[in-house]
Amino acid sequence: MAEMWISMGPQHPMTHGLWTLKVKVDGETITDADPELGYLHRSVEKMGERRKYFMNTTLTDRLCYASSTTWTHNYVLTVEELMNVEVPERAKYIRTIMLELQRLASHLMWAGAYMPDLGHITGALYFWRDRELFLNLLEVPSGSRLLYNYIRIGGVKRDLPDGFVEKTERVFKLFEKRLDEYADLFENSKIFRMRTEDVGNFTAAQAQNLGITGPNMRGCGTKFDLRKNDPYEIYEEIDWAIQTREAGPGYSDCFSRYMVRIDEMKESIRIIRDCFKKMPKGPTLASAIPVRAQGEAFRRTEDSRGEALMYVVGDGTDRPYRWKIKSPMFTTISACPHYLKGYKLADIPAIMGSIDICIGETDK
Amino acid sequence: MTLFDACRIMAEWTVKVLIPVFEFQEGLFPPFSNPAGWVADWLATEGGLDTMAWFYAVNIAFMIGMTNLILVIHLERKVAARIQDRRGPMLSFRSLRELGEDLSGQAPSWKFKKNYSGIGILQNLADGIKAITKELIVPAKADKFLFTMGPIIFISSSVFLLALFPLSDRFAASSAPAGLMVIMAAFSIAPIGVLTSGWASNNKYSMIGGMRSAAQLMSYEIPLLLSMAGVFLLAGSFDPVVIVEQQQASTWFFGLPMWNFIPQFIGFAVFMICILAEVERVPFDLPEAEAELVEGWTTEYSGIRYMLFLAAEYIRGFAGAAVATILFLGGWAGPWPVPPEIWFLLKVYLILLFWIFIRWSVPRIRTDQILVLGWKKLLPLSLINLLIVIFMVEIYPYFTEIVNLPEVF
Repeated sequence: MAEMWISMGPQHPMTHGLWTLKVKVDGETITDADPELGYLHRSVEKMGERRKYFMNTTLTDRLCYASSTTWTHNYVLTVEELMNVEVPERAKYIRTIMLELQRLASHLMWAGAYMPDLGHITGALYFWRDRELFLNLLEVPSGSRLLYNYIRIGGVKRDLPDGFVEKTERVFKLFEKRLDEYADLFENSKIFRMRTEDVGNFTAAQAQNLGITGPNMRGCGTKFDLRKNDPYEIYEEIDWAIQTREAGPGYSDCFSRYMVRIDEMKESIRIIRDCFKKMPKGPTLASAIPVRAQGEAFRRTEDSRGEALMYVVGDGTDRPYRWKIKSPMFTTISACPHYLKGYKLADIPAIMGSIDICIGETDK
Repeated sequence: MTLFDACRIMAEWTVKVLIPVFEFQEGLFPPFSNPAGWVADWLATEGGLDTMAWFYAVNIAFMIGMTNLILVIHLERKVAARIQDRRGPMLSFRSLRELGEDLSGQAPSWKFKKNYSGIGILQNLADGIKAITKELIVPAKADKFLFTMGPIIFISSSVFLLALFPLSDRFAASSAPAGLMVIMAAFSIAPIGVLTSGWASNNKYSMIGGMRSAAQLMSYEIPLLLSMAGVFLLAGSFDPVVIVEQQQASTWFFGLPMWNFIPQFIGFAVFMICILAEVERVPFDLPEAEAELVEGWTTEYSGIRYMLFLAAEYIRGFAGAAVATILFLGGWAGPWPVPPEIWFLLKVYLILLFWIFIRWSVPRIRTDQILVLGWKKLLPLSLINLLIVIFMVEIYPYFTEIVNLPEVF
């Protein structure tokens, strides 16, 4: 076969959302790749400039369908800095719990979506079965299962209900048992490792230069996590460690990225348990929340997929003058020619699945 | 009494009914209705009777194969569902029943058990009806002749397999001395259909799927046939009946039967992997890897053509399991009270169940890894197995103390 361009997407099982990957293949080997984004552009930033500050949390919820709380939290954190709002201590703890539950749900969503990419449909159903447990947990305080709108400017919507700690602990016990079972099915499976080891490699230096952050970067062995390096909420007071893996000295492959996420899920459980232990009593919403804001604010948080940034400019009215979102997946997908070249056509789903694509936040 | 004898008796009855009918027709318009008389004369001869008997035998084999096909698909769905913590197809008629209740205001006259269990098999019927009623789309820039020929080659060669393997020494539609060679030849026709439909679809995914299929089958035919060669050497024949009789005759310690998978366990392992690749099931279903190739070489097919592709794949799986049973698991041999045909089907279903468990618990292997596995691992292993068998056959006189092999050479 001669060299040819294959257009994968916008409707293709590999894409996990609306985007197109054009790959140039020589037989089965990839020689070039060209990602095309923009199919899901909803002009969220511009829409936000026409709404009041507190109304924008509904938009940020819809930025990413797998991890909506983290984006709302990033926006709320930025606006709170802009308005100089002091958040009560208990609200910070509840926010941390919700963020980590969301991270668990998001990573499980990713793991479930990754397995059919490798031709393992049972894995999808197993991981999504467990995601249900965490969606149920998120539903208890917030009242909804996908778009929570729970974190508000100045705190959270309402306090955790009675029995939440016990319910969470039951879920954790079940989930930890299942994670051990899945280790036999996936990590220790010869075929799974054949498919994921030594494909989609990129080095730590490449990740830094190309703007690949989050679990993908920690898969190269780089010890960088904004929860530690630029702490927010109460991550400083909690006892936890950054999870890193590496395929070899300073580079990552699909397997190390998979393992980083599994480790992060275990670490999230540890964080939530510590939060329950240290959580104080008190109010969950600040008493006086301003409506207008003047100046500019800039915050970055550790999203489930990497480093999320928001920049808000206020001009003294009750609506933002400018609102800028930097999504971690935009840079990671854009860098895909660097880690696709030289691998086989059959590796494309394995590689593109392993970086955890979410087109909702990428196209905004 | 064999299947053919029974069919022969049925053919004689049929001919007794048919000959007066044709003779009556001959007398209607004498110069023009003479052909009816020729048919009556031909039916009365031995050749006519035999042809009629073959017609019955092949149809019975086809019906049994198709019944098994439905059972296999249902088994796959149910077992897959249980593995995945689901229930699988359950209540096919429930919606109809509720519709009847809605329309008439009362419960319909036909009723089922309260839990509706066991009705899920009708899902196959529903799928068939749905597939038949769908449009057969031919892409505008496809090569229309080859696009139509691809399914015909693939499906007919697969259905042909049903007539070739015996369920027991008395229940066989065909009994050729080179039976297994014919089966493997029929297995090897299908890639032509795959390549044809992959190319004729004028679609890049289809073409890559067809190419992958060709590469995979080329690299797996050789270890497959080499692992079968050991069995042929031991039995001294290609005939399924002789191979099974040899396995029944050879005994092991305590008079236990020594089926071929015991002395030739390497060959058995190689054969099971290769036949899995031959029938293109997970983990070797690269030609239709849905993650990167949408649906592989079947991407452009729709309606009943696509459905028959799926059905033909299950037929190939069933035939592959039957070949494995004949070669390595003692065929229809088994303790007395259960008839041999049931023993044969039990073993076939055991293999199919094993395949279903594999299919739903492992990921798919990559193309280059499959080729490496085929050429660098399975080919040497099958040659080692062949060497072991030659060694066994050669030093057989020294083994008679513990192993009672039949005299073959």
